[in-house]
Amino acid sequence: MNSIYLFLYKNMFQLVLGIFVISTVSSCRKELPQINQPERYITGNFSEAFEAYWNGMNNNYIFWDIDPTNWDDVYKKYKPLFAQLNINDSTDVRKSYTYFKEMTSKLVDSHYALQINSGYVKDSATYISPSDLRHQKQPGYHGNINPNFFYSTIPPKYLDPGYVKGFFNFADGSQFFAISGKIKNNILYLHFNSFKLNTVFNAATPNNAQKVLKYYFDQLKTTPNLKGLILDVRSNGGGALADLDLLVGSLTDKAYVIGATRAKGGMGRLDYTPWIPASVHPAKDAKTFTAPIVVLADLNSVSMAEMTTMALKALPANNATFVGERTWGGNGPLYGNDDVFNGGQFTTSFLKLVYTSTLMMRYKDGKIYEGIGFPPDIEVKYNKAALDAGTDPQLEKAISLIPQ
Amino acid sequence: MKKKCLLFLLCIIAGTLTLHAQWSVGLEAGYNKNYIFTNTGFRAFTSYKPLEGFNIGIPVKYTLNNWFGIQADPQFIRKSYKMERSGYFEGIYQKNTNSYIQLPLMAHFTFGGEKIKGFFNLGGYAGYWTASHIKGTQLDAFSQSYDLPDDFQAKRALDFEPGYNYDEKYDFDKRKDRRIELGLLAGAGVSYQLKSRYELFAEGRYYRALTDQQKNYMLNQIPRYNDTFIVQVGCMYRLGK
Repeated sequence: MNSIYLFLYKNMFQLVLGIFVISTVSSCRKELPQINQPERYITGNFSEAFEAYWNGMNNNYIFWDIDPTNWDDVYKKYKPLFAQLNINDSTDVRKSYTYFKEMTSKLVDSHYALQINSGYVKDSATYISPSDLRHQKQPGYHGNINPNFFYSTIPPKYLDPGYVKGFFNFADGSQFFAISGKIKNNILYLHFNSFKLNTVFNAATPNNAQKVLKYYFDQLKTTPNLKGLILDVRSNGGGALADLDLLVGSLTDKAYVIGATRAKGGMGRLDYTPWIPASVHPAKDAKTFTAPIVVLADLNSVSMAEMTTMALKALPANNATFVGERTWGGNGPLYGNDDVFNGGQFTTSFLKLVYTSTLMMRYKDGKIYEGIGFPPDIEVKYNKAALDAGTDPQLEKAISLIPQ
Repeated sequence: MKKKCLLFLLCIIAGTLTLHAQWSVGLEAGYNKNYIFTNTGFRAFTSYKPLEGFNIGIPVKYTLNNWFGIQADPQFIRKSYKMERSGYFEGIYQKNTNSYIQLPLMAHFTFGGEKIKGFFNLGGYAGYWTASHIKGTQLDAFSQSYDLPDDFQAKRALDFEPGYNYDEKYDFDKRKDRRIELGLLAGAGVSYQLKSRYELFAEGRYYRALTDQQKNYMLNQIPRYNDTFIVQVGCMYRLGK
């Protein structure tokens, strides 16, 4: 024991130095940054508005794994630019709109939209949608097919007498409409403009749109010699994910996998949960539909319309053909509350909504079609002249693919 | 990669193990609890929790005199943690089981009597994160809801629909995961001279990682450091005359 005391005494300086070095090295950890919820920032100036938005994106955006945007460079470039702006100056607020547009221009999320919460930009734009801007620059871009074409032109020209059509007005001002009927007496056709199928189908108040859906599902079950099915999701902006099991689940008697999704697994840009299989489950009493199915989709088929197209293509019977155009490319599911999957859309004081996908989706072939769009098996481009003349080359192609 | 790690380990042992009177070699095994030093930022109903693990090693000691020596413990160690959600999201979690091969190198100070001695260790370590396994339950956006009455009131999200359970290997992401870990260690314990050449010991040790588990790949990154507390027992065999 004495030798220890002697050693300590003789090496006092070295020991003190050693303790100093150890304590210095042991404190060599990076500090944990304080990261605030974007909703909590008091946006009294543009520096705060930028920080709130940038951090929200840094931690909530789901596509950093595949996105070409360098978000750190965005911070370095735009932080000083926003610091020069005055949030109470209308010219500066409009300038910020331009900055937001530039910052987000390459974001791969094709649901993505920013809504600025300021009266100064109301007249110039209500929201910024990078995918909208990208698509508009592409050759062959077109808007939605006129709803009247589906509702008034297609039925008398292509459907047998006895078709049904109807619409349902929702309290939020949106309208759902659907058309169903037979072609050549043995091909069942269905078109609807948005995925609110469960809501309409199970509505307590009977309505004409509900009659259309009931007609479609009844015919699917009871028509003995159906030669084929045409599901038309062109210019369909998407909607409820739960509709997948109702619509596609009515065509299979077994659950099957169409791809996989993953969510944020932490605050880091590359923190993800594992890929979770995305499955379609059979609807009640559903039987496997083995006749040919043609799904019609176009550039303006977004979100659930794309997922439905993918789900039909992934049917175990392998009996679906996709006719039309490459879809929009926004197929990551969305939730309104970012607490559910620890990521996705958020708000700041300056931004009424940062609308962004909650989950990343990949198709069963292992590819992620976000920002790219799902490609058709048989491409038939939008033809304005033909539509104006009352004909539908895409539908005609679909009909031709179903042998009689 | 596993073969390379094993070869590395054997080289360390072979390189340090020369037949000399003052060399000792042994076997040690222990239980540990690993805490991840990080935070969850603004994530609500989310927290990180410590998890238990184990370690097994081959301590090699070079004793300079009756109170001081140098020790290296090439070892395999599990440093695991859990991320879990609470409240309405109760039942959603992920356990990260992380395996490391590491080489602690330490100054070994001994005091006390002939048979029973006390000791403490001070030093550092370098480790390599060889593998990771994840097990958990997550919400599944595509799952089929349970058949529930209209007036059913759920206490948690998983009452509505089944979650997705998984138990799989984690694939490292080169852009994010830092697999080399460096840190400090401090330990204290007692040893018992069983026979002239055999010594039993029990030790409590703390490993403090100084390197983040993630590379610096983003601004405002929240670091993650391992803090590992171990309790281990072992036996040393004195080589030479």
